[in-house]
Amino acid sequence: MKISIEWLREYLDLPESLEQLRPSLTMAGHVVESITEVAGTPVLEVEITSNRPDCLSYLGIAREIAALYGKKIRSGRTAKSMRVRKERVAYSIDIRDRDLCPRYIGLVLDGIRVGSSPDWMQRRLEASGMRPVNNIVDITNYVLLERGHPLHAFDFDKLHEGKIIVSRACSGQKMVTLDGVERDLDSEMLLINDGAGPVAIAGVMGGRDSEISDATTRVLLECAYFQPASIRRTSKKLGLSTEASYRFERGADWDGPPAAVARTCYWMQELAGGRIAGSVQDVYPAAIAPVQISFSRGRAETLLGVSLAPEFVESTLKCLHFRPVRKGKGKWLVQCPSYRADMELEADLIEEIARFYGYQNIPATIPACKSAGQSSAVHPMEQAARNIMRGLGFSEIMSLSFAGVQDHRRFPLSDGLPLEIRNPLTEETQFLRASLAPGLVKAVKHNFNYNQRQVRIFEIAKIFRRSADGAVSERNALAMIGTGGSTGRNWRNPGAEYDFYHLKGTVMALLAGLRCAPHEVVPAPAPSWLNEASSAALMVAGKCLGVLGAMHPALEEEFKLKQTMYIAEIDFQGLCPYLFSPIQFKPLPRFPSVERDLSIVVSREVSYGALRLAILGLGVGELAALELMDVYEGDQIPAGKLGMTLRLTFLDREGTLVVDRVQSFSDTIISLLQNSFGAELR
Amino acid sequence: MSGSFEELRRQFEEDLVHASSLDHVKLVRDKWLARENGIITGEMRRLRDLPKEERPAFGQEMNRLRALVESRIEESRAALQASEVSKSRKRADVTRPGYPHALGTLHPIRQLQEEIEGIFVSLGFTVLDLPEVELDYYNFEALNMPRNHPARDAQDTFYFDENLLLRTHCSTVQVHAMESMKPPIRAVSLGKVYRRDPFDATHSPMFNQVDVLVVDAGITMGDLKGTLEIFLKRVFHPDIKMRLRPGFFPFVEPGAEVDISCIFCLGSGCRICKQSGWIEILGAGMVHPNVLRISGVDDAKYSGFAWGMGIDRVAILKYGVDDIRLFFENDLRFLNQF
Repeated sequence: MKISIEWLREYLDLPESLEQLRPSLTMAGHVVESITEVAGTPVLEVEITSNRPDCLSYLGIAREIAALYGKKIRSGRTAKSMRVRKERVAYSIDIRDRDLCPRYIGLVLDGIRVGSSPDWMQRRLEASGMRPVNNIVDITNYVLLERGHPLHAFDFDKLHEGKIIVSRACSGQKMVTLDGVERDLDSEMLLINDGAGPVAIAGVMGGRDSEISDATTRVLLECAYFQPASIRRTSKKLGLSTEASYRFERGADWDGPPAAVARTCYWMQELAGGRIAGSVQDVYPAAIAPVQISFSRGRAETLLGVSLAPEFVESTLKCLHFRPVRKGKGKWLVQCPSYRADMELEADLIEEIARFYGYQNIPATIPACKSAGQSSAVHPMEQAARNIMRGLGFSEIMSLSFAGVQDHRRFPLSDGLPLEIRNPLTEETQFLRASLAPGLVKAVKHNFNYNQRQVRIFEIAKIFRRSADGAVSERNALAMIGTGGSTGRNWRNPGAEYDFYHLKGTVMALLAGLRCAPHEVVPAPAPSWLNEASSAALMVAGKCLGVLGAMHPALEEEFKLKQTMYIAEIDFQGLCPYLFSPIQFKPLPRFPSVERDLSIVVSREVSYGALRLAILGLGVGELAALELMDVYEGDQIPAGKLGMTLRLTFLDREGTLVVDRVQSFSDTIISLLQNSFGAELR
Repeated sequence: MSGSFEELRRQFEEDLVHASSLDHVKLVRDKWLARENGIITGEMRRLRDLPKEERPAFGQEMNRLRALVESRIEESRAALQASEVSKSRKRADVTRPGYPHALGTLHPIRQLQEEIEGIFVSLGFTVLDLPEVELDYYNFEALNMPRNHPARDAQDTFYFDENLLLRTHCSTVQVHAMESMKPPIRAVSLGKVYRRDPFDATHSPMFNQVDVLVVDAGITMGDLKGTLEIFLKRVFHPDIKMRLRPGFFPFVEPGAEVDISCIFCLGSGCRICKQSGWIEILGAGMVHPNVLRISGVDDAKYSGFAWGMGIDRVAILKYGVDDIRLFFENDLRFLNQF
């Protein structure tokens, strides 16, 4: 709300310099965003919160300042009478929906000469951000800004049969508003009709056909009170917010119309030659009762943590035009002003008391703590995962949770549907993401654009989907991408080109660090976005809880990445029950272990996993560890074969292993490898 | 006689101090300890010439000297040997870089979340992990924002259908906490929230919040101020000042906007604080009686406070980031700074 100081002085003597007024208003809850100079007068930009529509006016702001500084208000001259002995026009008002329109006041003036409004009025309107139109429109706007109550002026000669009928629209009905737009109406919208059809959308905007023109000589003034929720709904539905709808939807003053009409009438008589032709009609079928709230000083003291003098309570309420009536010691029944649409409960009054007590004067205290603090169940695991990933050289990213049609095409869901937003901002944010992979790829792409081609990033975030039965699932996932550069490179050692085994190593280190229950990476059919040649599933307790592998070459092509992406995506939520396995100490072996390295040559078709499984399947209890030390493919190995070096570690917890026993274990394993896998010793 | 001990010892130490190599130490050793013509042997030979009564004392002194000389020579020899062994190894160019261990970084907002979560756990709060896809009821309805409430305008919302939406704030913690816990309640929730604002330097359709709820018998607005003060001082700086002024949020009454003294100009007025010396940092207030009632808490018996704060905004202020989009673009040149 723009407040011109020159205009504001009309209603009260301002207490002090603007620089002192600014913090007072701010601390009373009305933030002064800025002070600018417009046509020689300072103009305050005051932010009015949505619960205080009464302050969307000069009188409203004046009342607040008056209460703060104990000043008197001057509310301006109004028409002495709004009746004529002999009616020169006949008009009628018929409210057919009392719920949506509890009150409607009409008044007809004739002798109107439409022209410009005086300079002073134009300047005030302009300073407050309104464009002057003509004296009639300007007067209604002037009163709107002054009192916060919207009014509308119809050209009386364009109203059929002199009738005003307030009723709901029929669905499918249309009308053209003042701005020349044809509006589609529905049966929830309230209309002002004349004898022939709609002339205004109640509380939002007038119709074009009954607009004031230069030829207008007779005016019907409307000042009504409309139900806030209905106006808001209509304004939202039409996508049409006006000065009038903005105030009505927040709650206008239900007792404001008589004074607003009288004030408008006064200016029309003074500035536009208006004479009352049809007496005022105040159609108010069921009087609205003022809000009354019981107020207990003890309650206020308990809630604020201060002690309040009864005189302070009473004087504060009175200076804000509340009417407190004592109901015993420390208790009042308080009648609220009709313009305080925000008053409902005792807490609302307590805020008024607090505002004038000063929030800054409430002493800070520390409440007694009766509970032990506790993180959420998943938090320690998430935090551990993040720290481990960081230690493994991966940087954490945070991507937007949205996804577009393209993302779902490239990274399709294995089951369920993407969750679609009904009112998205753009096509790219039409869905919620069902996978973290697209966000990671976009981040990689972004970094490639800045010539950062070695990227190790991860994200832990929610992914979303809708199952076939419509239920929405929201699950925590962890995904990572490694691409480019080499790992372990330094000035002495060239390191190794990043590949699948680096990614797998990271996943396995992460799981080990999280003390995951037994788990393995197995060959598995790849999701369509992974390269079949190197993709795998992460199995934990017989469940597939993740996939890892190289991105599909076709996708790399599509993203123009020119570099292989290694991606892993893990159902972190599904994994959590298997993490942080309990720790059970095992006594340290008292006897030394013995290592044996076996170098074998096998067919390329033989997987290490199969060898390992078979060796462990022998049940040699003394085999404490099995490691793959080396894989060799090259000139010294026949085509179609490869060499492997396995390191076997044997340990007997009960005694020292003698060479013969170690040899017999080795022999058992060697013969297994020879017989079951056609292995040859090198 | 004792003078001769002290004098001999002084002479020995003088010899030893000049012995800067193993060979030289050996020479000193021979000079003092040689069986035939060492100094100590020579002294011992004088024993026979002494009066009988002086002999035992003299003998003891000479033995003490011998022990001292032996141990000092051994010390010297060991030290020189250690130094010569190490000198014989290849010298490292200590200015070369160590073999790097690639260390990743944690996202700045996550780091702040960790810090904030830690503060609340230390203050006895239970952290709730709440859904991002939320029912209208938890996001609006139960927070005293029925349909057609104008305050919904300030939080333009993404909807999936009539009742399902992306939460616009973490204040959903209020209703969830009161449903799942009984007073005394201290609950906090952190996470992503969504509003239908196009991406620009100061707006993002996704950002992060932390929301807090305390409900107990006799909770006052003073308690809100005290708890807020602890929190803001820990997050920003122990010297930070805080002020509350009336503000409006439908789910609190009385409601407050909370400012902290500008961390850039320390209150004297600058561009960031628009010359006011204060920066708006969060919204707070006493839980609205309607909110308590709808969640089944007796508002005659209990009261509470709540506040909500944007974590991205804190990060922007703390680190001087000038564009909120940087948090979600995931540029490593940005992330590596944290």
